[in-house]
Amino acid sequence: MSKVLLMGQSNVGKSVLFNRLAGARATVSNYPGTTVDFDKGRMRIEGQDVEIVDIPGSFSLEPKDRAEEVAVKMLEETKGATVVCVIDSSKVERGLYLALEIIEKRHSVIIALNMADVAKDANINVDAERLEEILGVPVVPMVATRGEGLKELVSRIREAVPVEIEGIIKNVGGKSGTSSHS
Amino acid sequence: MEKKLSEMDYEEEGTIKGIEKGFREKVAGMGIREGKEVKMMTKQPIKGPVVVEVGRSNTSLGMGLAAKILVEVKR
Repeated sequence: MSKVLLMGQSNVGKSVLFNRLAGARATVSNYPGTTVDFDKGRMRIEGQDVEIVDIPGSFSLEPKDRAEEVAVKMLEETKGATVVCVIDSSKVERGLYLALEIIEKRHSVIIALNMADVAKDANINVDAERLEEILGVPVVPMVATRGEGLKELVSRIREAVPVEIEGIIKNVGGKSGTSSHS
Repeated sequence: MEKKLSEMDYEEEGTIKGIEKGFREKVAGMGIREGKEVKMMTKQPIKGPVVVEVGRSNTSLGMGLAAKILVEVKR
C-alpha cells in the first residue's frame, strides 16, 4: 500500500479524521468546503510508514468546482492507493453515491461511517455489518472527533480491496447496467 | 399538482417526479433523484439560487438546474 486517500462529501469530518490519523493540524470548521486543497501527512499502519492525503469534499466524481476538480484529479493520479471513504452516518444515502462511484472505478475502498453519534441522536440506526455484506468492503462505524472507531479503522485498512460493482447491484436485488446511469 | 422545482413556493413540499435527461448525474451526488421528497427552504429574488432540503441535508441549486427538475407538490 503506497498511499491512503481520505475522500468523502463535504462536511463529513475528513479533516478531523486526518488530524487524528496523521497527528496533524489541518484547519477544521463546521462548514462545508473548509479544505479546498489537499493536505498530506504520514501515519503508521502495522509498523509501516504510509502517506495519507486529506482531499477536499466532493459530492460526486463529476467535478462542479475547483475543489472538486482537485479531489477527482487526486483520485485519478494516485493509482493503487487505498481510499478511506468518509460518510456522514446521518446522511448515508448521499454519501454512498460517491462511495459507489469510487468503488466502480475499481479502487480499494474502506468505508468510515463517521458521526455515528449525530446519527444516533437523530434516531438513525445504520447496520454497518449488513452494509459491509452488501458492499463487500470493510465498513467501520466511528466518531472521529472523539477517536471512537479509530483503531478498528486503522487495523482494517489493509482489508480494503477493489470489488465488482455488479456484485453489489446483485446483492441489493437490482438489475445490472439498467438501474444507474441510465 | 406538478410543477418545476424552481417554481415551488417557500416551505412547499413535494416528491421529485422527473429530472431532465443529462442532468440526473449532476444532482445525484447531492441526494436528488426521482422519488425523493424535497422541501423549499430559501428562495432568492431575481433568479437567485434556491435552497432545498433533501434527505436531511440542505442543498443549493441554481435556478437553471432547478428548472430541470419536476416535482409533484403536496396538497
